[in-house]
Amino acid sequence: MKRLLQLGRAQPLAAVCLLIIACYAGLALFGELTYRWHEWRDTTPAYQQQDISRQYQPPSRDHWMGTDGLGRDVFLRLVQGTRIAFHVGIVTSCIAIPIGVLFGLLAGYFGGRIDDFIVWLYSTFAAIPGLLFILAIAMVAGKGLTGVYLGIGLTTWVGICRLVRAETMKHRERAYVQAARVLGFSAPRILARHILPNILHIVIVTFTLRFPASIGTEVFMSFLGLGVQGEPSWGLMLNSARTRLWQGVWWEMAFVTLAVFLLVLAFNVLGDRLRDALDPRLRDGGGPERN
Amino acid sequence: MTTASFVEVDDLQVVFRRGRQRVTALDGISLSIARGEAVGIVGESGSGKTTLARVLLGLEHATRGRAAVEGRSVADWLKRDRAAYRRRVQMVFQDPYGSLNPRLAVGEALAEVLRVHGLAPRAGERAAVAALLAAVGLDAAYAGRYPHEFSGGQRQRIGIARALATRPEVLIADEPVSALDVSVQAQVLNLLKDLQRERGLTLLLIAHDLAAVRYVCDRVVVMHRGRIVEQGPAEQVLQAPSHPYTQALLAAVPEV
Repeated sequence: MKRLLQLGRAQPLAAVCLLIIACYAGLALFGELTYRWHEWRDTTPAYQQQDISRQYQPPSRDHWMGTDGLGRDVFLRLVQGTRIAFHVGIVTSCIAIPIGVLFGLLAGYFGGRIDDFIVWLYSTFAAIPGLLFILAIAMVAGKGLTGVYLGIGLTTWVGICRLVRAETMKHRERAYVQAARVLGFSAPRILARHILPNILHIVIVTFTLRFPASIGTEVFMSFLGLGVQGEPSWGLMLNSARTRLWQGVWWEMAFVTLAVFLLVLAFNVLGDRLRDALDPRLRDGGGPERN
Repeated sequence: MTTASFVEVDDLQVVFRRGRQRVTALDGISLSIARGEAVGIVGESGSGKTTLARVLLGLEHATRGRAAVEGRSVADWLKRDRAAYRRRVQMVFQDPYGSLNPRLAVGEALAEVLRVHGLAPRAGERAAVAALLAAVGLDAAYAGRYPHEFSGGQRQRIGIARALATRPEVLIADEPVSALDVSVQAQVLNLLKDLQRERGLTLLLIAHDLAAVRYVCDRVVVMHRGRIVEQGPAEQVLQAPSHPYTQALLAAVPEV
């Protein structure tokens, strides 16, 4: 708490971004709980209740963000969309980051043939246009969230892998790693206990930057009809909002766009600030003082 | 070569390849060091001192010739008895800022060495760490602190403690004081000298500071461009150098 206050004073923008992300996370958690509760009780949640007599109502006191074409409350659906977005961000990170970090560490530390193979592997992945690849995986894995998770997760480890590889190569030559080798530590120990903690800031920054990117990709996939089925994701909402936009039904489109925009912006600004704060080379007055 | 030689280097050559360029770092040097002897290796930067240390530590491979400890080549040690060799031969690094992992508390770093080599029972770990810190003149209460909380001299003491943790027989110190303030250099050298005497360490002190070498070592080896140009008892070499390079090296030392 004290550190948060310090952060607020030193980096007001980063603190605001963190606050925004925390609000979204709260909404996502709330969405998750309502979803689970209705699933458990086997009832229809409010965000799925259709009522044609209430369709296309502009924002009002009853429906803060209006209603959609089937008379469903846009705000409640937006909250559920947040839930899906966080699922996508977290699950794809859980797939991409371990792969990228592991391959990056191995390639950077051992070099030689292992490095050649991993560089070949990620160059091959990187050579295939990203969205095409994601769509192909989603087609194979089937429509729905599994396809989205695998598609995004298996294609976005390349960037992390490159960064971790380069940083590991640098740290391998540092005296503390040489010391660890001379002390007879095993390679897994050196990688896990000595190098990884010293390059962790890269992983954290990458996480905050790839989180919004994966959300954006999910929105796009769902918009194309390859993503989420049945659940209200932001992409699906944008797709359905499109049909009546020209008749002046602006609210669904506007609020969903705003929600995506704000979250992506907050994550990106936070990622930028984190990089500034955590990268030792950029830290002002950083580095140990001599003697 | 005498039969008493503990560390032996025979016609050692190391050639680095940088693209098409070939750099000869060590050009066929032979050297014999007895158990418990303190030998200083002096020479300007680029003379091959550090490469020699790296070969003995197995961080660099010989292009020709061999380096041996206790009659077995380094390559053989590392292939068959890696852990035993790592315990036997330890190193103190030049840069006390870079040679400690910034994310590990000092006590943790020392305990890790003991754990990896199975040198202290779990229950006795804290006491063993305290003893190591005490051996280099540091308070046991420092165990919980991180490297950046220490001064350069203190860090170098920690580096020495870490090397001592494996109870080595051979200690290679690569410019251990050149990154330190002049005021703390003498303290660290004193510590090295005392430890060498007390524990009967075979010490290889690599330095360009001739005074440091004279103070700590029995014997001096002068290197120049990958070759040994002169060697002998410290007093003799530094008082009456026979090789012109040693004379030039001595002449370059400012009078204090």
